[in-house]
Amino acid sequence: MSLLDDPESAALNSTAKAVPAGGSPSQRGWTNLRTWPISLRVGVALLITILVILILTPWIAPYDPAAQDLANRLSPSGDGHPLGTDQLGRDVLSRLMWGGRFSVSIAAITLAICAVSGTLIGIICARRRGALDEFVMRVTDILLSFPEMIVALFLVAILGANYVTLVIALVIGGWTPFARLARGLALEIEPRDFIEAARALGCSKAYIMLRHVLPNALGPLLAHAALRFGHKLITVGALSFLGLGVQPPNSDWGSMLADGQPYMVRAPGLVIYPGLAIFITALSVTLIGRGLGLRRDRQA
Amino acid sequence: MIFFIRRLVVLVATLLIVSFVVFLIPYITPGDPARKIIRARVNDPNLDDAAVERFRVMYGLDQPILKQYAEWLSNALRGDLGLSYTSQVPVGELISGGLAVTATLAITSLLLALVLALPLGALAAVKRGKAGDTVITMITQAFVAIPEYWLAPILILVFALKLGVLPSAGWQSPLSMVLPCLTLALRPFSYFTQVTRASMVTVLDSPHMMAARARGLSFPATMVRHGIRNSLLPVVTLVSVWLGGLLGGSVVVEVIFGIPGMGRLLYEAVVNGDIPVIQAAIVCIVALTIVITTLTDVLYTTINPTVRTANVSA
Repeated sequence: MSLLDDPESAALNSTAKAVPAGGSPSQRGWTNLRTWPISLRVGVALLITILVILILTPWIAPYDPAAQDLANRLSPSGDGHPLGTDQLGRDVLSRLMWGGRFSVSIAAITLAICAVSGTLIGIICARRRGALDEFVMRVTDILLSFPEMIVALFLVAILGANYVTLVIALVIGGWTPFARLARGLALEIEPRDFIEAARALGCSKAYIMLRHVLPNALGPLLAHAALRFGHKLITVGALSFLGLGVQPPNSDWGSMLADGQPYMVRAPGLVIYPGLAIFITALSVTLIGRGLGLRRDRQA
Repeated sequence: MIFFIRRLVVLVATLLIVSFVVFLIPYITPGDPARKIIRARVNDPNLDDAAVERFRVMYGLDQPILKQYAEWLSNALRGDLGLSYTSQVPVGELISGGLAVTATLAITSLLLALVLALPLGALAAVKRGKAGDTVITMITQAFVAIPEYWLAPILILVFALKLGVLPSAGWQSPLSMVLPCLTLALRPFSYFTQVTRASMVTVLDSPHMMAARARGLSFPATMVRHGIRNSLLPVVTLVSVWLGGLLGGSVVVEVIFGIPGMGRLLYEAVVNGDIPVIQAAIVCIVALTIVITTLTDVLYTTINPTVRTANVSA
C-alpha cells in the first residue's frame, strides 16, 4: 500500500488512540449498533429523547411557563399539571422544559467554545513547539489550578450577573484540558509517515493541521467533550442556583431549584424535578463519553 | 533543580498577576475608584468631596497605578486588607475565620471520601469484570452526575425536616458537619474509587505481584504489602488536587448549609459588592490552591523521578 495514495489508512494501521477519519472500516462500524457498548446506547437514547423534548418545547409544552395561577399554588401532580405547580401556580413541567433549553444550550455553547479554541491552541502549540508552546503550557498549568467557581465569582463582581458572564467564566479555564489533550494527540500524530508524505507533497502547514492532524485527533477529543458536558451543565446550574447565572424572568434548572427550596416541605417536587433533569442529562452525556472510550479501547 | 526553580518562578509570577488583577477591581467596576478604596479604610460611605480629596492625597491615590499597587501589595502582605464595607470588621479577621472553617470542611470531606473509596476501589479491582465491580463502577459514574445543590436540599429534607435527626444548617456541633461533609465528599469519593480501581488493576497485573504470590505470600498479604502501597500514588496526587479544588469549590455547599466559610464569605461579598472582602478572599483562595498544586507537583517529582525528565522534555 502506498502511503501517498491513502494517508488515512496509514493512521488506521498504527496503534495510536486516534480514530481514523473518512471511510475506514471502523468508521463504517458506526452504523452497526451491536458494536456500541451498552453505556453508549443508553446514553445516546437518553440524550436524543431530552434534546427532542427541548427542541419541541414551544409546541408540546402543556402551559405557558410564565402563566400564574395563584389559586392553584404548590399543587401536587395531577389536576392537569403532570408535575404539579410551583409557588406562583405555574406549571412545573412546562417550566422544566423551557428552563432546560437555557441550561442545556448555555452548557453546550460554553463547551463548544472551549473545545474549538482549546483544540486549535493545542494543535498549534504542537506544531510550533518552542517558546510559544512552553508559555501556553505554563498558562494551562495555572488556569487548571484556579477553581472555576472563584473565577466566576470574580467576573460577576466586575461584569455583573448574567449568562454572558457565566459563559466567559467557564471558558477562561475550560479550554485548557482540550488544549492539553489536542497537543498530546497532535504530537503523537506528527511523526507519522502520512504527515511526512503530505509535507513532501507540498501541503501547507495549515492544510496539514486541518485535514490530517485534526481529523485523526477528533475521536478522543469528542469523547473528552462528552465527559466535560455533564460537568459544564452542573456548574452552569450551580451559578444559576446561586443567582449569578440566568436572571429572572428567565429561569433554568439551577434557578428553579433555588426558587423551590423554601417550599420543599410542602412541594418536594419543586426541588426534586429540576435536579433530576440535570442529573439525567449529565448522566446521559457521561455515559456517551464512557461508551466512546470503551469502544475505542475494544478496537485498539 | 531547574524544574523546582521554574515552578517557583511560575508560582510567584502567577500570584503577582492575580493580585494585580484583584487590585484593579475598584478601578474597573463602575464608580469612583478613590471613593471605593477610601471606604475600605475609613468606613464612611457618605464622605463629602473635600474629605475624599484629603484622603485621596493621604492614601496616595493620586500616584501612578503601579506605585499604588506596590503600596496595596505591601499592606496586603502585612495582613492589612482594609475594612469590610458591610460588617466594618478588618478583612484579615474575616478571612482567617472563614479559612479555618473551609479547611476543616474540605479536609474532613476528603478524608471521608478517601476512607470509603480506597477499600471500594480495591474491591472493584480484585473482582474485576464480576458483578461487584460492575455495580461499583456504575454507581460511582452516576454519582459524578449528581449536582451538590440537588443532593444537599434532599438530604436536608430527609434528615433534618422529615426525620429531624440532623441539623439543617449551621456549623456549631459535630452533628451539623455530617450533611455538608457527605454532600461535599460525594464527587471526590466517586473519582477516588475510579482511580483506585484503575491503579489497582495495573498493579495486580504487574510481575511483582505474581512474584510475591509465587514466593508463597497469601493473597491478603500480597494486597497489603505490595498491592495497596503501589497503587496509592495516583490517588494521593488526586487528593491534593481536590484539596485545592474544594477550598474554592465548597461555595455552593457553604451557602446551602449556612456555613461561615471562605466560599460563603466570597459569595456574600460579591452579592453585596463588598470589594475589600472580594479582593482578600480571591487572593487567598487562589494563593492556597496554587501553592498546594505546586507542592504536589514538587513532591510527586521528588518521589517519582521519571516525571521530572518527562516534564523537562514537555
